[in-house]
Amino acid sequence: MAKQSDFVIETEGLKKSFGGQMAVDGVDLCVPRGSAFGYLGPNGAGKTTLIRMLLGLTQPSGGTMRVLGRPMPKERSRALAGVGAIVEEPGFHKHLSGRENLWIAAAARESQAHMRIDAVLERVGLSDRADDRVGTYSQGMRQRLGIARCLLADPEVLILDEPTNGLDPGGIQEFRALVRSWIAEGRTVVLSSHLLDEVEKICDQVAIVDRGRIVAQGTLAELSAGDDGAITIGCDDPHTALASIDGNGSLREIEEISGGLRVLLRPDASLEKVAAELNKQLVAAGIAVHRLEPSHVSLEHRFLEITRRLGENS
Amino acid sequence: MTTLESNVQLPHSLRMPFRLERGEFLKLRKSRGVWIPLALLSIGGIAVMYTAIELFHVYNSAKYTSAGGTDHFEGALILMGQLGGMIAAGLVGAAAGTLDLSSGVFRDFISSGRSRTRLFVAKISGGLALVLPFMAAAYALAAVLCVVLAGGQPTPSIALFVKAGLWVLLSASVIYIVALGLGSLVGSRAAAVSILIAYLIPVQGILHAIGVLGRARDALLGVAVEGLSPLAPADMRNAIPISHTTSVIVLFFWVAIFAGLGLWRTQTRDA
Repeated sequence: MAKQSDFVIETEGLKKSFGGQMAVDGVDLCVPRGSAFGYLGPNGAGKTTLIRMLLGLTQPSGGTMRVLGRPMPKERSRALAGVGAIVEEPGFHKHLSGRENLWIAAAARESQAHMRIDAVLERVGLSDRADDRVGTYSQGMRQRLGIARCLLADPEVLILDEPTNGLDPGGIQEFRALVRSWIAEGRTVVLSSHLLDEVEKICDQVAIVDRGRIVAQGTLAELSAGDDGAITIGCDDPHTALASIDGNGSLREIEEISGGLRVLLRPDASLEKVAAELNKQLVAAGIAVHRLEPSHVSLEHRFLEITRRLGENS
Repeated sequence: MTTLESNVQLPHSLRMPFRLERGEFLKLRKSRGVWIPLALLSIGGIAVMYTAIELFHVYNSAKYTSAGGTDHFEGALILMGQLGGMIAAGLVGAAAGTLDLSSGVFRDFISSGRSRTRLFVAKISGGLALVLPFMAAAYALAAVLCVVLAGGQPTPSIALFVKAGLWVLLSASVIYIVALGLGSLVGSRAAAVSILIAYLIPVQGILHAIGVLGRARDALLGVAVEGLSPLAPADMRNAIPISHTTSVIVLFFWVAIFAGLGLWRTQTRDA
């Protein structure tokens, strides 16, 4: 039996190249047990390729990986018995009903999987349509059926690649609630997405990936902390306002936005103090300030900042 | 960890053996594009053949014998073992080899951690569970009509009925496995069916007719199948005399090569 590790997924120097093009380039990843882990990156960053390697769908070009403490692909069968996954858009036999598709998927799992079919259909809200042909399902319903299929294995780890594709806003909310319930049950959820907002709302741990490499990894608080104080200023003359605060030593970036400015603070600056200082400066310059809103930089801003910086350096 | 269902062991009666095979059978049985051609080319072919011959007999009994009897039964065997039945089994095999790929379900199966070899092997027995009952039903229909519509003509012995039935099932099984392997190898149902039909009809026929190839023609699938036929070689469509041992060896290689290629591709394909 594999030793119970603190991490459900561990990779070291994992690589995958396609004809000389590195899709995954030396990824060291540790996914803590019981977390909602976001694997965030722009399209083409290598997210799906990494997932495909973890699931044994394609062979890595180099490096090592362990899933649920078991080396892959050596102990693939035993490792993946505890994993449920959706990779890209879930595929189904359209001429079969949702229930029949789950029956076929359960056949590849342990024998108890068949006993879970009704429960998982209920859990994703598809009980009423379970006996209709999948060909008549909407994309959102197929996505739900894909989630139901993941749950057949009663998995310790769920690996979901762009899972909210095709879900309507209500469906997305339900999905977030589902993820929270899985975490509460002690499962680990790995969510790969290019939707920053989605990851921010669902996950507590994040790895940011760009061009096959992990460029930042940690908790949401860690990634959006430190030098990330920001202040949104609403004023009548953004152009003049920008000129009047340009020399402020506490600021590292000033950006003109619609109806005002957005400023980023240096790491050592106090958000409240700088806000008061800026208000004073702007009023002194004759600017009518109608909004002064200190905030922390969102993961989105951080993500764009990291990937933009990488783009400039390359 | 909270589980969706309690992790109790299922009673033996609920453990459902052959689950993967049943899944393969379900996929094929529910696909109209699979079972309708299978039914038409096997049972439908026999029904049409006997109906047509009997209508000719009713129209002009002096010129045409009744539809039953050994002579027409031999024709039915050729239809099942060499023409429609073979194509029907091939269509199902090609579908079995490609359905998971075309629907995107192959990826899900692989990510379950289940052995790729086991997944491929399940397709052999799962598909045969659909093909063989249809072929058996077509054969049973032919056997019944052979006796009922004999009209005084001689009918085959019980031994010939049994041997012929086994030969029809063997022929369908071989072509099903060849088509399954081919479908798994090329990954496209249309391509697999095209290659198969092109081989079974024009290509094999042309190679068969080239006398200079001599004994090399023993390696043709159709020749090896004919070689095991319970009918005398002269009664077969284009028979080349071939021993039973050679036939068995040739059929073994056809099955082994195509099943091997299909299995190899299933094991190495990126999902």
